[in-house]
Amino acid sequence: MLQANDIHFCIRNMPIVDQASVSLAPGELTVILGPNGAGKSTLFKILSGEIPCKYGNVAYNGSPITGFSPKNLALVRAVMPQHSYLSFPFKALEVVELGLLSGGNSFRQDLVEEVMTETHTWHLKDKLYGNLSGGEKQRVQLARVLTQIWDKKPFPRYLLLDEPTSSMDIALQHHVLKIIHKIKKRNIGVLAILHDLNLAANYADKVILLKKGRILYQGAVKDVMTATNLEKIFEHPIQVFSGSEDSPIIIQSIPFIQNHLETKLA
Amino acid sequence: MIQTLTYRKNKTQNLILGLLGSALMVVVVISLSLGAFHIPVYNVLGVLMDTIGLGITDFSPQQSNVLLHIRLPRIVMAILVGGGLGITGAALQGLFRNPLVEPGLIGVSSGGALFAVIFIVFGSGFPVLSYFGGIGLPLFAFIGGLINTSLVYKLSSSAGKTNISLLILAGVALNALSGALIGLVIFYADDAALRNFTFWSLGDVGGANWDKVGIAFLLISGPAILVTSQFKNLNALSIGENEAFHMGVDVQKVKYILLFSSALIVGTAVSLTGTIGFVGLIVPHLIRMMFGADHRLVLAGSFLLGACLLTIADLLARTIVMPSEMPIGIITAIIGAPFFIWLIINVKKIRS
Repeated sequence: MLQANDIHFCIRNMPIVDQASVSLAPGELTVILGPNGAGKSTLFKILSGEIPCKYGNVAYNGSPITGFSPKNLALVRAVMPQHSYLSFPFKALEVVELGLLSGGNSFRQDLVEEVMTETHTWHLKDKLYGNLSGGEKQRVQLARVLTQIWDKKPFPRYLLLDEPTSSMDIALQHHVLKIIHKIKKRNIGVLAILHDLNLAANYADKVILLKKGRILYQGAVKDVMTATNLEKIFEHPIQVFSGSEDSPIIIQSIPFIQNHLETKLA
Repeated sequence: MIQTLTYRKNKTQNLILGLLGSALMVVVVISLSLGAFHIPVYNVLGVLMDTIGLGITDFSPQQSNVLLHIRLPRIVMAILVGGGLGITGAALQGLFRNPLVEPGLIGVSSGGALFAVIFIVFGSGFPVLSYFGGIGLPLFAFIGGLINTSLVYKLSSSAGKTNISLLILAGVALNALSGALIGLVIFYADDAALRNFTFWSLGDVGGANWDKVGIAFLLISGPAILVTSQFKNLNALSIGENEAFHMGVDVQKVKYILLFSSALIVGTAVSLTGTIGFVGLIVPHLIRMMFGADHRLVLAGSFLLGACLLTIADLLARTIVMPSEMPIGIITAIIGAPFFIWLIINVKKIRS
């Protein structure tokens, strides 16, 4: 369990994250949703250990995060940033191999190939990272962070993803969420910041709705992602078409201008 | 599968390093042979063999003297200083995640020079300092290099991220300040100190003797090995400091190791041979362009290639205007500056 209690983080006395408590279970995908400036990234960084938290505490599998060395923390959780920029001409394979760093020299022979095949990046292995497209870069980064925690361990691991689908086309977005769905079974708990409400609604097990640094709602998708809640969070009219056995949940934000034809003619 | 891939890659890298090492050997032998007093390669090998107890060929005592007491120490010095500057350039470029960084740009060299000048001019006033003997000057230069590097790093970093334009600006500012302070110190220097300073500032590898080489070996090879051991961490840092932390790198510790080692290497180099520019900039580039960005190869390769280039530069310096000598810094700048300009023009292409 990744547990955070009463996290409070201020910049110049302005609360960025305000009394947030989160728990992330292995085998589940938890999605953080919220408007820009809601404190999603800050909460994310506190959970990953990137920002030390003055008030409140974060614990991985029951041990407080302050007691972890960077190396031990890297064995328990992997983090994928939103953008990664490389200043030197590394090959895609070399980037993915960086995920082996925390494990020392005792890695499985075919680990990297397995992960890269799973993320559809094996064919890119000899290409320079800088020459890849945005979506390919993100998949290579995903392969890198997956390599870090892929192999089963006696303890649950966690994967934190900051907008993992931001520069991908529709098919790739679903592909990435399918991969995430698969890796949950490896005793991995996944936390992702997403902007796409439909992806969140249809793939997440739990949803956290964040606004102005406060967690207003959290829980199962069908309980939390209601039109009322979402409208309150995003301050915009939203319709939710709840799915059934064989149709997905569809969430639609309502355009300000209802009649497109009218504006085109005008 | 992957391990065989990695294994094959390591094997290729070792082969490249072996070739660079052999190239260095060839350059050294040629360099030992050529000069104002020509010694045929045959005799050069003879003298070298004789020193390790394998006397196979004849040579005159004069050849042996010139070789062992004049030419060899300066060439070993060129290897240590060139290699040190090369590996420092590679390490700092990796640390700052910027291919345009070099020891001179971020103030290591000027800080080292300032403290070296202070030591030369005011050192005689403090008898305590003479206690350190020959090691005092390099140590003092190291402190100067460390102060400037840390200042530049502090000035250009906020919340653990280094802003590159701030870094360049801070480097320019500190270089200017150090230059002004060097001028100020010289202004207060007496004649004897001024003479010492002039010799030092003109001092290139030509002033090398075995004592100095010993000091250089102690203070450069240790940190160079320490830097080389950080290759995995530097690879991780290329993606970013936060990302490296997420991968399990103790980023702050790595930063301290690299800055401390760089200051020690460049401080020593500056104090013994004056400021030699551009080696630290172009050498890591050449290695990356030819063989890729893996720091396992870039660090060790930069040492070997830097050693090669400075040995060649020294050879040119003492043969172009024979029997006189040209300062080696002029040679490296004449080769290095146009390369730097080319780099600025092409930096976009290299980055993509």
